[in-house]
Order: sequence, then C-alpha cells, then structure tokens
Amino acid sequence: MPSDRLVSIRDLRVSFDGHAALRGVDLDVAPGEAVGLVGESGCGKSVTWLAALGLLPAKARVSGSVTLGDEALLGAPAATLDRIRGGRIAMIFQDPASALNPVQRVGRQVAEALRLHRGMDGAAARAEARRLFDLVGIPDAGRRLDAFPHEMSGGQNQRVMIAMALAGQPELLIADEPTTALDATIQAQILDLLRRLQAETGMALVLISHDLGVVAEMCGRVGVMYGGRIIEEASAATLFEAPAHPYTQGLLAALPDMAGPRRRLAAIAGGVPEPWNFPQGCAFAPRCPNATGACDVAPPEHRRFGEDHRVACLHADAAHASVTVPA
Amino acid sequence: MMRFLGLRLGRALLTIVLVVTFAFVVLRLSGDPAMMIMSPEAPAEAIAAFRKAWGLDQPVWVQYLHYFGAILQGELGQSMRDGRPAILLVVERIPATLALTIPALILKVGLGIPAGIHAALHRNSLTDRLVMAGAVAGFTVPSFVLGLLLVLLFAVQLGWLPSGGQESWRSAILPVITLGLGGAGILARFTRSAMLEVLGQPYIRTASATGVPWRRVVRGHALPNAAIPTVTIVGFMIGSLIAGAVVVESVFSWPGVGRLLVVAVANRDLAVVQCILLLVASTMVTSNLIVDLLYGVLDPRLRAGGAAGAH
Amino acid sequence: MPLLSLEGVSRVYSARRGFLGRGVPVRAVDHVSLAVAPGQTLGIVGESGCGKSTTGRLALGLELPDSGEVRFRGAPLPPPGTAAWRAQRAQMQLVYQDPLGAMDRRLTIAAQIVEPLAIHGIGSPAERGDRLAALLRDVGLRMDQAERHPHELSGGQRQRAVLARALASDPALLVCDEPVSALDVSIQAQIVNMLTDLQAARGIAMIFISHDLKVVRQVSHEVAVMYLGRVVEQGDPDAIFADPLHPYARALVSAIPVPGPRRLPRIVLTGDPPNPADRPTGCAFHPRCALATAVCRNEDPALVVRGDGRRVACHRADELARAAA
Repeated sequence: MPSDRLVSIRDLRVSFDGHAALRGVDLDVAPGEAVGLVGESGCGKSVTWLAALGLLPAKARVSGSVTLGDEALLGAPAATLDRIRGGRIAMIFQDPASALNPVQRVGRQVAEALRLHRGMDGAAARAEARRLFDLVGIPDAGRRLDAFPHEMSGGQNQRVMIAMALAGQPELLIADEPTTALDATIQAQILDLLRRLQAETGMALVLISHDLGVVAEMCGRVGVMYGGRIIEEASAATLFEAPAHPYTQGLLAALPDMAGPRRRLAAIAGGVPEPWNFPQGCAFAPRCPNATGACDVAPPEHRRFGEDHRVACLHADAAHASVTVPA
Repeated sequence: MMRFLGLRLGRALLTIVLVVTFAFVVLRLSGDPAMMIMSPEAPAEAIAAFRKAWGLDQPVWVQYLHYFGAILQGELGQSMRDGRPAILLVVERIPATLALTIPALILKVGLGIPAGIHAALHRNSLTDRLVMAGAVAGFTVPSFVLGLLLVLLFAVQLGWLPSGGQESWRSAILPVITLGLGGAGILARFTRSAMLEVLGQPYIRTASATGVPWRRVVRGHALPNAAIPTVTIVGFMIGSLIAGAVVVESVFSWPGVGRLLVVAVANRDLAVVQCILLLVASTMVTSNLIVDLLYGVLDPRLRAGGAAGAH
Repeated sequence: MPLLSLEGVSRVYSARRGFLGRGVPVRAVDHVSLAVAPGQTLGIVGESGCGKSTTGRLALGLELPDSGEVRFRGAPLPPPGTAAWRAQRAQMQLVYQDPLGAMDRRLTIAAQIVEPLAIHGIGSPAERGDRLAALLRDVGLRMDQAERHPHELSGGQRQRAVLARALASDPALLVCDEPVSALDVSIQAQIVNMLTDLQAARGIAMIFISHDLKVVRQVSHEVAVMYLGRVVEQGDPDAIFADPLHPYARALVSAIPVPGPRRLPRIVLTGDPPNPADRPTGCAFHPRCALATAVCRNEDPALVVRGDGRRVACHRADELARAAA
C-alpha cells in the first residue's frame, strides 16, 4: 500500500432495498490534502463517506474496499470502527443545530470525544475542551462550555461540531455540507476556520458540497459525482477552467456569474435520475447533448486526461477539454 | 417561575371544580337516591323525610352552594347508607387499591419500557413484531375480558390462584397482572415510537461519527431524549393510581376505592361518589403538574423562552 | 410611476425574552423605502434576521406596517382580510421557498392552478381549460404531470406548478421569497431562466428576495441590501456587486464563493449576526465593522443618494468611494 495515500476507496458500491445509490466509487486522499466532492442531490457524495465509516443504516448493502493506512474499514468490527471514528477520521454534518444533542451541554459533548479518544476526564477534559473552543473561535469559551445547543447560533454550533471533531486529533476531517445551512458571512468564517485548522494540524480534509464555489476555494483536488459515480476528477484549477465531462461543463454554465455581462443560464435539461430508474449505461446520457448509442451500453470507464485529470465519458476528448466556460 | 406555577395551580383548581360540579349535576339528574337507599316499597312519607333530611328537596343549585360551602370548610359529607363520613370510607379503602395499582405500575414500567426500547433498537425483527403484537393485544383487550380469562385459566382450570377477594398476597397476582399488562402494552408502543423518532435524529449519527460505542449512544444520547415524551404517559399512569382499577376491582371483588365507587354510584350515595371524584381529579391534576415541571428539568429547550442566539 | 412603493415602512414585533420574560420590541423592518417599476425586478438580499421576508410580506399587504405606507399603482393597499384586499390578490402573488408546503396535498396540480381563476371569477369554466393548458406550457409542465399530486413531483416541478398557479390570475407583481434556494443548481438555472422569460413575455414586475447574491444579480434590475431591518445599500446590481460601498455589502459580496479568480479580497466578519431584539446603538453594523468610528457608534446613518444613483447608509461611504476611485 503506497504510503502517500491516507484513505483509499476502491469500487465502493452501496444499495438500499435493491436500488443502487453508489455504483463503484474510486477515490484516494493523501495525508494533509484537501479534496472536494461536489454534486447535486442524490449523487451519492455523502453516502460515500457514510458508507466508508459504517454509518449507514443496517439495511444498506455495502461492497468494495476502504482502507485507512493499513486498516480495512468495511466490515471492520465495531470496536475498530468506534476507535477510528473521531480518532482517525472525523465527520461534521449539515445543520449543526440538529446535529448536536439538544439536552446535553455542548462542553459535555466535546468532553465525551476527549474521553473516548484521548483518555481525558474531569478537569483535564474541561480544560482541553475550553482550549478547543478557543481554537475554533467560540468567544467566551469558558462559559459557553455549559451552554445548550439551542442557546447558540448556527455558526457557533458548527464551531462546536468542529471542536468535537478535532478532539480526537483525527488525520482526516470529512465536512458534509458544513456551511449549507448558514448565512453567507458565517459560511465565510467557517470555511476560513477550516482552512486555518487544516494548515495548523496538517490533517486532510474532504469537503462535500453542492456549491462549486465553496469547493473551488477550499480544495486542491475536486471530484464531481453524478448517479452514484465520480464522473470527473481533477485539480481544482483544471476542473474549473477546462472541464471535460459534459455534466461538469453544464454545472459550471448553469451558475450565474457575479461579473461580466448577464447571459442566459445554460440549464441542463431534465433532472437527476431516481435511484430506481438509473439508466443502463452512462447515467448522464439522457441529458447529454453529445450522447450516442454507445453511451447507453454501460457506465463509461475512466479515461486519463493529463496527469491529474480523469473523466468517465466516451466522448470527452482534447477538443472538449479545451472548451472554456465563461469566466 | 412563580407566575408559571400560579397559572398552573389556578388551572388545576379550575379543573377540579369543573369535574366535581359536573359529577354533582349528573348524579342528581340521573336517579333518585332516596329510592335507591330506601326500598321502592317504602311509604311516601319515609321517602320524603329522607329527602328532606339529606337536603334533596331543595333546588339543585342550592344544594350545590351548600356542598361547595361545606367543602371549603373541609366537610365532605356523609354516606347515605351508613352515615359515616364519606372521606373516612374512601380513605380506608385506599391502601387496598394501592396494593394493586402500585405493583401494576411497576409491572407496566418494568415491562413496557424495556420492551419498547428493545423493539425500537431491533426494528422490524421478529422480536419487534412480537412485542408490538403483544402490546396491541394488551391494550385492545378490555380489562374485564382479560381478567375473566385469567380467572378462568388460573383459578378455575388450574386452581393455582384464588379467583377473587383479598385473602392473601396470592389474591393480588391476577388483578395486578390484568391491570399491568394493558398499561405495559401502551407504554411499549409509545416508548418504541419515541425511541424510533429519536434514533432518526441527526445527533445520533453525530455521536456514532464521534466514535461513541452504540450502547453508549443509546444510553447517553437516545434515552434521555426519548424520556421526554414517555414521561407524559407515565405521569398519566401515576395520576390514575387511585381510580385506575375500577373495573379490575369489580371483576376480582377487591375491596378498593374503585369498587366503592361502583357501589356508591349504583346507590346514588352522593357524598361518597363526589368525594372519590374529588380525590381522583386532584391526583390526576397534581401528577400532570409534576409532569409539566419535570419537562423543564428534562428538556432544557423549554427552560428558555425566546432563543438567545437568533440563528 | 412605480408599480409598488414602500414609503418609510416599519414593522415591529413583540418578542418574549426568556422564560416568562416581558416582551421586547423587535424592529423587523425599520423605515424602509423601496419601489418596484412595472415589468422590472427589485432584488432584496441579506442574511437571516435582516427583515427581507417581512418586507416582502409588507409589500404584498399580508401584514400592515406599523408606520409608513405601501402603495400599489399609487393607491394605498387595503387592510388585510377585507374584500378589496382579496380582490387585489389577483394582481400580486407570492412564491416562496417550500413548494410542497405551498400546495395542498390532496388536490391535483391542475386543480390548484385553476383555483385562482375560480376564486376571482376569471373566464368561463370552458375557457379555464384553455388557460390551464397555456399556463402549463409557459412553465414547462406537461398535462400528465399536472394530473398528479404535489408529492409525486420533483422539487423543480413543484416550483413550476406554484409559479403556474401564481400566474393564473395574470398578476402585475410577483414576490418571490427564496424561490430556488431548495433546488439543485441545474434546476435552479431552469427556474431562473423561466422567471426571466416570463417577465419578458408578460411584463410582470418582481420582488426577488434571496440570500444567494449570484441568482439575485442574474434577475434584478435594482438591488437593495438589508441589514437588521434597514436598507444599507441600494442601486444597480452590477455596480453594487462589482464595487460595494457599504462595509457590510462589501463583506457579503466578498463572502460569495466563486469558482475561478476572486474579484474582491475576502473580508471575513467577526462575530455573529446580531439579534434583532438587541439592536446596537448608532449604526447597527458598527460592532462588526472594521472601519467603525465614534460617530458610527452614536449616530444612525441615513440612506443617502449619491451622484450615480446609488444609495448608501454609511457615515464613511464618501471616504471609501474616494479611496477606491
């Protein structure tokens, strides 16, 4: 196992009640790297990591492999997973207000993570929790330890979640739509915080979002998901300047610009396919302007496009890659 | 805080007054005590004398005022059958009733809540379906049917247990089971839905994602939240400790408050009925009040009025 | 003459503070003056608690302002609940964020789209069928989709249905409160295109309320930025988003994540958005403003019209504009 990979996901497949939610995901995360996973609802970006950490409900059928260093995660015993969750890989979620236990003080929720992963108790745990609160920028940290989630704002609750995630000193932080439920200026604060923490602790970051802009800012490498697969993966610069997959191109063209002349938004016709109705071949083919008969046979394999760029499309070629999206 | 308590107490008192008034009026409109206590063949003058002695010849509202005035002085009336103070009659029966309802409550809580939790944790498994089926049976089968069936089986067929009366501790077994099973069924079902709702919340996933072992997630995060709605039901059950056994006491000829109530109503023994109702209303209202206060302890969101953090 | 104008409107709520506390007045909207020209779109942006949704409701006449006046075609709005007010509903409609909540679960889409026609007595029953077909075409729904119930459609389709219903009475004004926030990016683009098309075809004026500046810029002819119940900057969208003058507007615009190079350096504000019940003295933004001075702490800045037509409520706007020039 190459030591430059922290997490390695191979052919991850997930289905619920016979319907496929993930149809073969391959992804690597290097230590200290910031990877973005972007896509619209139902594409499987959250399911990928919930499956990796074993957080899906029991009725989910998961196959493939996920390795963290030299530990295999899928099918690992509960004790191993409990150790890894929060200890080596931490995850924060959307809507922090409902992601925290409403009847427990926030300091105590952080202290629980400290006890589990760093063996801290009592006064030591409280002191460390306070330090974490300071680190994530919660003002008046000492008093806030005894607050309940509903007594704090959305931004502060998200900081508490981040503090909880950091408590176990993880090597990888997965942020699942961490700022979607927050106001724009608070979003900027939280993203700024995540960037700073990543630089200070050296941990890797996986940022899951439907917001291309957020991912572009924060991540060095970005994967675009559609229909349960990663259909394009490249460095952030490459992806946003010269996307090769028609879906990525469509997504970028659908974003209104903040500057330049106003243009009609290039909307992708149709909608995302339902899990029980996935096409046989390429999931995007029904909506794709370049689709041919060959596209309906099977989901396309990934093709390399330059060093760090891969695309799952039969018709992506150099010509398309050079199509620039209006800046 | 004081204002809150004051309001609730005020409402509680109003409830009690309404219950007692309602009972008062209905009792008087539904039958003539004089005819019930004295036999129908008694001479007309005797009946009239009886009515006069008990003030029944006066208009209902006058009787009500007298009654109310008497209550405020702590005077709850006398039984028309034997002239003893109503309150004494009732109070001497309370231990017997509690001897049934308290063990039954323990059974309800001790069986119902764990069953509900287990069912929620193993949703759609065989155990879950069995528990739920049992629960439904428990609360749909009327208590007298259940009681009689148990008597038929254990007293008549097998002869293990007595069929009624209050001779020994063995006599209490069947009535307690009859009382307890129905309530256990209700609690099981209720606890199950409360748990399922809580288990579906995002913070449970956060706890798992933090590496909290599942047992601890259930104990430390799920149960405290599921307790909040469950407390309502348990509070209601506590409130009915005094009068919740009316049917069962009748089926098993158990000399408790419930049985007294049935007899008193049949005889139109007004003071006794009213006294029992007053007692029942007070108990129920008090337990509701305690439950409300308990909410504030269990759920910190209810302690704050407006949120301090806006968003 | 503007189609709709809000003149110095204020709306104050009484919020309870603490468990059993006494009520504190919350100025959700504070002396706001805005106008919508016929066939044009006014965009209102701001974050939670800024009062934009309340402003939308005041504009529609769903609530009465506590001071100031709302005028439609020059005449004041009738009080809510009166017959005149009900009749005016045909002229102004509301589309908001949750299309599922906006529709009745039990009725088909078609039945709900046709309902306003029946309520306002528009067209004979025979003609309504034709109108329904035309509306469905306009919003891009098929007849078979219209025969379904709301929960059987996707989010984007539902929002189209809500729009069709809003357009049934041929209103002059459409107030949209976060109409695309809950939708995926590609569906957002479809709906936004549809809104601009409908505006061009029917000459409908719009008030577009959103926290998403990119979308607001796309559809608006004029933009107002709100903070804690006040308008802090107002004017041409391109001008404002290229070079905001008010420090809050600057922070807001810089906070938008965009793929590609950033135009404005990112300004990260400290602290949380304030509680409307706890309004700071002087300029409401001063506790979070890096440029606040003594006058900002004491005096409330007025919304001042500048040479280029832009309005800014900031004591230091002139200096900032000069510095940028």
